[in-house]
Amino acid sequence: MDVNNILKEIKGNLLDLVGGKFEDLKAESKKDVQDFLNASKEKLERWTLLLAEGHISPEEYKWLVESQKDLVVLKGLYAAGASKIALGHLKNSILTTVINTAIGIVTNTNTATADSGDSDTE
Amino acid sequence: MKTHFYRVYLSALALVVVTSCVSLRTAVFDQYSYQKATEIKVDATRLMDRSNTPYNSQTAAIEHLQTELAKMVEYEKNKPDNQISYAMWKMISDPNKKFIGGFLKLWEEKGTLNTIFAEEAKGQVTEALDLILQYEGKKDPAAENKLKAILGLQ
Repeated sequence: MDVNNILKEIKGNLLDLVGGKFEDLKAESKKDVQDFLNASKEKLERWTLLLAEGHISPEEYKWLVESQKDLVVLKGLYAAGASKIALGHLKNSILTTVINTAIGIVTNTNTATADSGDSDTE
Repeated sequence: MKTHFYRVYLSALALVVVTSCVSLRTAVFDQYSYQKATEIKVDATRLMDRSNTPYNSQTAAIEHLQTELAKMVEYEKNKPDNQISYAMWKMISDPNKKFIGGFLKLWEEKGTLNTIFAEEAKGQVTEALDLILQYEGKKDPAAENKLKAILGLQ
């Protein structure tokens, strides 16, 4: 089994899941993808060695490689969910700003109206 | 008059922000889900450590874990706005995927498993369950409560 070919396939699947080209990803996502690929490379090299030395069977090797591919999907689900949560938090802060602004404007307008009413009566 | 205009304008703006983000809804942090995921992780890794013994000698513990997994999938399935956690749990317990469900299936087929392989597979299963735990942990309860307080839902 060629480790580089498997890595290439994993990278392709991961990029499909996060969407777009590696170069276009934001720094944080790029780091996540790269960290995952580095971890995958270490594992694949270790499993290939275990296979070559007869410590695991070809079937067990295949199982482990497939589990790494399944982890790519799980990681993609996690990334999609985490972005959704981050956007949800952004929405909350936008909402807070809108409400605080509204309270501020309404309060200031009321004060200004009261002031102007006072000056009119003077 | 001016005050009324601002009230209407800003209420409309707040409504647009809220309604335009319906697709961003995610289930709230759930202490039960987090606790059960931790228990399943501990049970699964302990059981995997015993996979060098015959499958038939561990049937009670295996069936217990399979039941807990099935309960968890069902629990996550019925929580609103919870598609991601549900999909993750389905993968973890699926006998055709290479996580704990798939590991138990292989163990049953082979009778016993090689210790070196089991140790490597345990790393994979642990990583998958850690992702579920981290994801649940990201559902910040403080932010959710703040939003509910703002919207007068508390």
